[in-house]
Amino acid sequence: MLSRVADSLYWMARNLERSENNARVLDVQLINMLEANDREVLNRDWEEVLEITASLADYQVQYPNLKSEEIIHYVAFEPGNFNSLVNCMTYARENARATRDIIPEGVWEGLNRFYLELPAVRRNEFTIQEIQNFLNTITMTSMNAQGVIESTMTRGVPYSFIKIGKWLERAEKTARILNVICEKARKEKQGSVNHHYYWLAALRLVNGYDAYIKEYPPKMNAMHVLHFIIEEERFPRSIRYCVDHVMETIRKLEKGEIHHYSERLFHLLETIQQEVSDFNLEAMAMEELMGFLDHFQNRCIQVSRVFSETYYLIEPVEIK
Amino acid sequence: MLDQYEMESFFDEMMEDKEQPKPHYEHFYQMLRRFSIDNLHEKNETAQLSFLRKGITFTVYNDTVGTERTMPFDFVPIIIPSENWQRIEKGMKQRVKALNLFLEDIYRNQEIIKDGIIPGELVEQNPYYYRQQASGLDIPYQNHIFLAGIDLIRDEHGEYRVLEDNLRNPSGLSYVFQNRYVMRQVYPELFFEHAIETLEHQLSELHQALMAHVPANSTSPDNPCAVLLTPGSYNSAYYDHVFLAQQMGIELVEGRDLLVRDDVVYMKTIRGLKRVDIIYRRIDDDFLDPDAFDPKSVLGVRGLLNAYRKGNVAIVNGIGNGVADDKAMYAYVPDMIRYYLDEEPIIPNVETYFLRNEEQRTYVLDHLDELVVKNVGASGGYDMLIGPHAGKEEIAVFREKILEKPNQYIAQPTIKLSRAPAFQKGRFYPCHVDLRVFVMSGQESHVLPGGLSRVALKEGSLVVNSSQGGGGKDTWVLQKRGNGYA
Repeated sequence: MLSRVADSLYWMARNLERSENNARVLDVQLINMLEANDREVLNRDWEEVLEITASLADYQVQYPNLKSEEIIHYVAFEPGNFNSLVNCMTYARENARATRDIIPEGVWEGLNRFYLELPAVRRNEFTIQEIQNFLNTITMTSMNAQGVIESTMTRGVPYSFIKIGKWLERAEKTARILNVICEKARKEKQGSVNHHYYWLAALRLVNGYDAYIKEYPPKMNAMHVLHFIIEEERFPRSIRYCVDHVMETIRKLEKGEIHHYSERLFHLLETIQQEVSDFNLEAMAMEELMGFLDHFQNRCIQVSRVFSETYYLIEPVEIK
Repeated sequence: MLDQYEMESFFDEMMEDKEQPKPHYEHFYQMLRRFSIDNLHEKNETAQLSFLRKGITFTVYNDTVGTERTMPFDFVPIIIPSENWQRIEKGMKQRVKALNLFLEDIYRNQEIIKDGIIPGELVEQNPYYYRQQASGLDIPYQNHIFLAGIDLIRDEHGEYRVLEDNLRNPSGLSYVFQNRYVMRQVYPELFFEHAIETLEHQLSELHQALMAHVPANSTSPDNPCAVLLTPGSYNSAYYDHVFLAQQMGIELVEGRDLLVRDDVVYMKTIRGLKRVDIIYRRIDDDFLDPDAFDPKSVLGVRGLLNAYRKGNVAIVNGIGNGVADDKAMYAYVPDMIRYYLDEEPIIPNVETYFLRNEEQRTYVLDHLDELVVKNVGASGGYDMLIGPHAGKEEIAVFREKILEKPNQYIAQPTIKLSRAPAFQKGRFYPCHVDLRVFVMSGQESHVLPGGLSRVALKEGSLVVNSSQGGGGKDTWVLQKRGNGYA
């Protein structure tokens, strides 16, 4: 497969996963907002949304205050926000367009349909209902694309690149969400009623609440929640699940052999797997946990780079 | 249903007169009468939307902003009886064969010039004549024209004539398949009681023709690696490229995906470099290789021409084909057919005046309001004067242009292009049509049955080009037996 095509598949999957995740984060916040009665709490919630979906610092350069409408606009539509929903979906569509001869027709048609309907979405003076519909469309577009990929694509090289992109993006986002929630929990005193609310929010933000309450009582125990989101190998949005599946996919891609060119990638992934399995929640203070999550996010960035180098997704520097 | 339909003095593809369809349209006509106008309108909307959803679009650039547009589709097909088609098919093979012999001759000994059939300066002054780059090469089967798109029209007597040869990068093949696909999805009823030539195996014919171009030094002649070279997703014909690459099962590559090392072409894959044998390029000559052509091109591949000249890679269509398909050389094609094949042309040309010739120029300048004037180097309906439709000012502008650069223009009589009914916005009205016929050649030549019928949907317009509001129609070639109206 062409390197350029592999790169496009990888980024199509990442951008689609990013759109879906960010759409969910915004959606969760729109519902939280309804019950927030304290201005301070509301502002802090919005700060987190910005931290998770984009960059709070970038936002603050442009806007001095936190106003719901402005934030919603920034996260969903702002052309200057690299990670806005419209931008991510448009990148995904552009990547799909450049790989139309490789991906299933249904994936392209779904992304193209979303793009064609974009001009009809009001970007100013929107109602909350309109935004919720928009977020729902993104979720459905992403789910639909994943469904077509799963049900029709041959488990070959293009499929592998799509899946690796999805899992890396998801792992990184999950770590980021937890990091933001931990930061908030740390600032609060232990035992505050808010803790229940934080861990519930964490589960909702990673789309794990329904799965969680099938395994644990609906009492939000921090240990249980963290274990579930970080280590649960059967939960498809946990850090461990994503890392394991990236590794497994690359093993299959390389037919179980480790070559000179893929050595670095294997070594890095093995190290990360080890780090995740050495992770011992019981023995950790909150600061340590946050250190772990920070470290893991850096690892994700590192994997993305080494992965791209291994398969020439990045133009190698010409040696003269 | 067609009671408001005005035939006027044009040849109509479908109707004999207001009430009576031509015999080969009889079944279609009867079928049509069973639909209500509302129903047809609804189906029409569904069909247009289907093209948009599938992203079967071309990009129109205005002030550097690109807009993706679909080619409007009209469901009234052009139906061609088998005896008409057989003649077209023979005529197309004959024409492409002569054109290929001409290219082979022009890039070798130029016998046709020595024998005084074609003026030498017409070749020498042609901007697409690449003597230095393309002369004296041994290319597979001496075939310069892998895919030709020949544009045909019918005059007021229904006589088919060649309007234009496209031997460089004819586009539109994907639309032939998509038009048929949408037609079958949205209007299945209309196919009943018709036995038409299928398009099912045409892409495998195309693939076979492409794979026949194995270069002399290929290291895997039994299983050559072919690619389609596109300028990229911002090109107006990108959908065409995607479709053909996908259907032929070859990689769709951009210039940046290829590199030349020691005069061998490779593509950059996730497993390293892979040798390429055959390039079906959809990039114009000038942009192919910055070392050999336009040094500013960023679309091309450095060193590609050397690899080609050494027989390490095949490039189709051949380099330098533009010398044979411009609007000035067009007028000599009937002579080429007589010269190389010793045959009379089966499908005639449209009469053409050369403005380089003083006598003809004087005549043309006196009759500008009756003639069509075309720039020999332009395509897509640009820089063109349609005399009977033009105002005084426009005619004056062209008079200046002709006097300034007489070699740059030719003139033709305004042909009463044939028309066919089109259905838009709830009613039928007559529109001018033409037909692009595709000829694919490898070891032998093959003509795709039918082709792309283009229609000028703007009422009264003569321009069928998609960049200027033209649309497409499905084209049905009736099978010999069970003609549908027997």
